[in-house]
Amino acid sequence: MTAGGPPTPPSPPSPFLAVAAAAAGAPASALPAPAGEDVLLDVRDVWQKLGGNQILEGVTLQVKDRVRPGQVTGQVVALLGPSGVGKTRLIRLISGLDRPDRGQISGVRAQALPAGSVGVVFQSYPLLRHHTVLGNMMVAGIANGVPREQAKTKAQMLLKRFGLDHRADFFPAKISGGQRQRVAIAQQLMSQKQLLLMDEPFSGLDPAALDDVIKLMIEVAHMDELNTIVVVTHDIRSALIASDTVFMLGRERAADGTITSGARIKHQYDLVAKGLAWRPGIEREPEFRELETEVKEHFRSL
Amino acid sequence: MSTASPAPAPAPTGAAAPASPAAARAEPGRLARIFLPNRAVDRATAVGLVALWTAAAFIVWLVSPWESLPGPGEVWRAFGALWWEGGMGPEMFTTLKLITHALFLTIVISMVLSYLTVIAFFRPLVAAVSKLRFLGLTGLVFPFTLLTGGGYALKVSMLTFGMTTFFVTAMAEVVMSIPREQFDHMRVLGAGEVRIFWEVVMRGTLDRALDITRQNLAIGWAMITMVEGISRAEGGIGALILNQNKHFHLAEVYAVLIAILVVGLLLDYLMGVVVRVLCPYVSLDRVAR
Repeated sequence: MTAGGPPTPPSPPSPFLAVAAAAAGAPASALPAPAGEDVLLDVRDVWQKLGGNQILEGVTLQVKDRVRPGQVTGQVVALLGPSGVGKTRLIRLISGLDRPDRGQISGVRAQALPAGSVGVVFQSYPLLRHHTVLGNMMVAGIANGVPREQAKTKAQMLLKRFGLDHRADFFPAKISGGQRQRVAIAQQLMSQKQLLLMDEPFSGLDPAALDDVIKLMIEVAHMDELNTIVVVTHDIRSALIASDTVFMLGRERAADGTITSGARIKHQYDLVAKGLAWRPGIEREPEFRELETEVKEHFRSL
Repeated sequence: MSTASPAPAPAPTGAAAPASPAAARAEPGRLARIFLPNRAVDRATAVGLVALWTAAAFIVWLVSPWESLPGPGEVWRAFGALWWEGGMGPEMFTTLKLITHALFLTIVISMVLSYLTVIAFFRPLVAAVSKLRFLGLTGLVFPFTLLTGGGYALKVSMLTFGMTTFFVTAMAEVVMSIPREQFDHMRVLGAGEVRIFWEVVMRGTLDRALDITRQNLAIGWAMITMVEGISRAEGGIGALILNQNKHFHLAEVYAVLIAILVVGLLLDYLMGVVVRVLCPYVSLDRVAR
């Protein structure tokens, strides 16, 4: 598995983005110019209660634009946390499906993130079973106002790019779990969304499939400077390989281990600053293993 | 003295290798499989089993000692007489027209009510309609006669009422049990609520709606003789069987019963074909499960 894109040469402009821009009536060159240190996702003091339990308690995190001169560099952010800590709840809030009880969530240039403005790849990759793979892709385009023929052309192009063109006429029940996941990701690229949330994308994958997903994730992130993928997972190793920033979501505990608070960001790692991002084969480096051990230690206390 | 152990026999290779005892236990023969629990059988075996049971039933009928059960020959002759001289064909057409009319109304009313369950305001109304399935049809003949004036309208409304209560119960359950993730998925794709309703609720449950239609067709078909007996003026297969009953024409009664069964099975088969044509993904879902 490789971590990050190759250091050189510069990535070509994303053909997907060009199509999306054309569909939206704007050329790719007219898209917002990347700016270093721009905040792409801002979660501020978010609180959420569920069934009387305080699930999230003051979650605050920021994702900023990573800039590499001469290279289009998107962001891959991992949100690590144990099962039941509230990761999926946070995904629902960031994606606009639910509203926080307190706090604010905004995207690029402090814009609000209503449902539909953020892509989400759910853990079970739900697809419409009455549509073929191509049909599912087209629904995603048409839902965003893309004309039918244009949606079809773009869907076919994306399926080819994701190695799924030979499955275009298949119903979801007839494709594998890995293929479903790729369709679910490709679906999100049918419209111009720069924030993509992925809920447990590594669960249940064999090592080869895991490598493929990480590669795909990095590739999608680096399609555009402002693209950001937030991976919600409890798979520490895969998260560290794939991402440039890691946030750890956890709760406070009493001395006897009893949970005493809702979840908040307890640790943050800047893998770029540590020199552990964008490098192929990074998982073989001793520094990576040291960091993995450290994160595991922290994880136990979450 | 040392004893030399015999040289081990060469290990069997290739396809000729005998299966291990465990493997042999795991793979019972075709005959054994039809008697073992939780075993799948191939299509030919399944057809063979149906043929076997049909033949067994026919033999029991053939050798039946009961006076009240006319023999196959007698029933066949009665069927011929009813078909050519008793007007069974036109009566069957009348019944098919009635059930089609009632089924159409049932589908329209039930689908509208079931889809309305996505709006909280209508849920109590739908629940109330569903509970009416516990009302017996017999007690409703008088109020329905007053409402419709009797005759064909009475029969259509009785059948429609009977089927609608069951249809709404099943279909509302289907709509209410759509996973929230399906709606969320469409919302994050940017779809509006109308499109979500179309894709997730209407198209997403079409196969189950057709399946429920199929079940209700069977319910309606089973009720048809009773409903047609309420008002015999327009005829129908129900009126025909009641007339034969009245004159103790047992062979004729059985002939009509068999005709009802065969037509019912044919309608059920046709509904199955409709489901397969309109929702080809259903068979894949079943394989996937």
